[in-house]
Amino acid sequence: MKIAFINGSPKFKESASGYILEELKALLGKGSNMISEYCFNKPKLSIEDIEQLKECNILVFAFPLYVDGIPSHLLRCIVQLEEFFKGLSRSDIMVYSLVNSGFYEAHQNELALEMMENWCIKSGLKWGQGLAIGGGGMLLSLKNVSVGHGPRKNFDKGLSELAGNILKCTSENNIFINPSFPRILYKLAAEMGWRYSVKANGLRRKDLFTKK
Amino acid sequence: MRLLIHDLYAENFQKLFSNSFEDTMIISDDGTIHNCIGCFGCWVKTPGACVIRDKYGDMGEYLSKCTEVIIISKCCYGGFSPFVKNVLDRGISYIHPYFVIRNKEMHHKRRYENHFDFKVWFYGENISEREKQTAQKLIKANSINLDCKSSSVKFIKNISEMEGMAL
Repeated sequence: MKIAFINGSPKFKESASGYILEELKALLGKGSNMISEYCFNKPKLSIEDIEQLKECNILVFAFPLYVDGIPSHLLRCIVQLEEFFKGLSRSDIMVYSLVNSGFYEAHQNELALEMMENWCIKSGLKWGQGLAIGGGGMLLSLKNVSVGHGPRKNFDKGLSELAGNILKCTSENNIFINPSFPRILYKLAAEMGWRYSVKANGLRRKDLFTKK
Repeated sequence: MRLLIHDLYAENFQKLFSNSFEDTMIISDDGTIHNCIGCFGCWVKTPGACVIRDKYGDMGEYLSKCTEVIIISKCCYGGFSPFVKNVLDRGISYIHPYFVIRNKEMHHKRRYENHFDFKVWFYGENISEREKQTAQKLIKANSINLDCKSSSVKFIKNISEMEGMAL
């Protein structure tokens, strides 16, 4: 199967979406799957990118939640893709989407998944499944934790279920995974992280509260 | 102050709303907006302002001075059009990076004290029922996250239906 991994993060490196796709790749990589990778961190797609995507059996999008929805740069790209795909009648192409957000509760990503499913309907593609990931702020720190253990237990379980469905090319209900980590500790760690970041930029803790 | 964010062509906007808007800041698409780069600089580098200094770098501050935010947007998949979403993405300095628990869920703390009314008009010839449901839930979610005073959402097929309407 030809699978396209589409990273919808605006970041060029160290993105949570990129990390999620790396982990997914490890679960899909064995066998006869050919995975091609794309970064939609641009306002417009090239004709070459679009032509390549039409040759794929499966599109896998991974992106961060922005203001309860799809980041605008990715939205511009999928609007462009809709125009292309709806003229092709390619209901054999399956779409899976992975959305992560800084909020602890995975269900806050639900509307972004609904929008992706609505995009599939408008584009004539087939919706496979969505994976909503809460606590995205801690994802990059899971790299050194053993798979299936501790704070990454729920993440690995959800990703493994999604990978199985991608391999079978089936449509299933969306999956919602909260971190295997207490919410209060996640909140405190996040706030500590912001204080560290503001100080690293030569500012003071109270500058986080600046009003214009 | 009122803030009006729209994605209409300039000539259509002028034709529809020829009356002048009092005490209203209008944010429209002149093709120069940059997308959010996910750097969180508006929280930790230049708190309260976006690090990208184009015409849309002070959206957070504008939102802080509002009593009402009106949006006119094409409905895309149950959400905003790319331009309107871009403006909102660039406005997250309106909120604070710290979290609070609101409605038993995690949301961002407020940076400012104002609570605005959030009024959204979605237009489009082919908005499906499914998209309308998504859009209604979206405006409710936005309203909770931005801690708005109230919110409303309306759907129209064609922007000509708004002609002469008092917003």
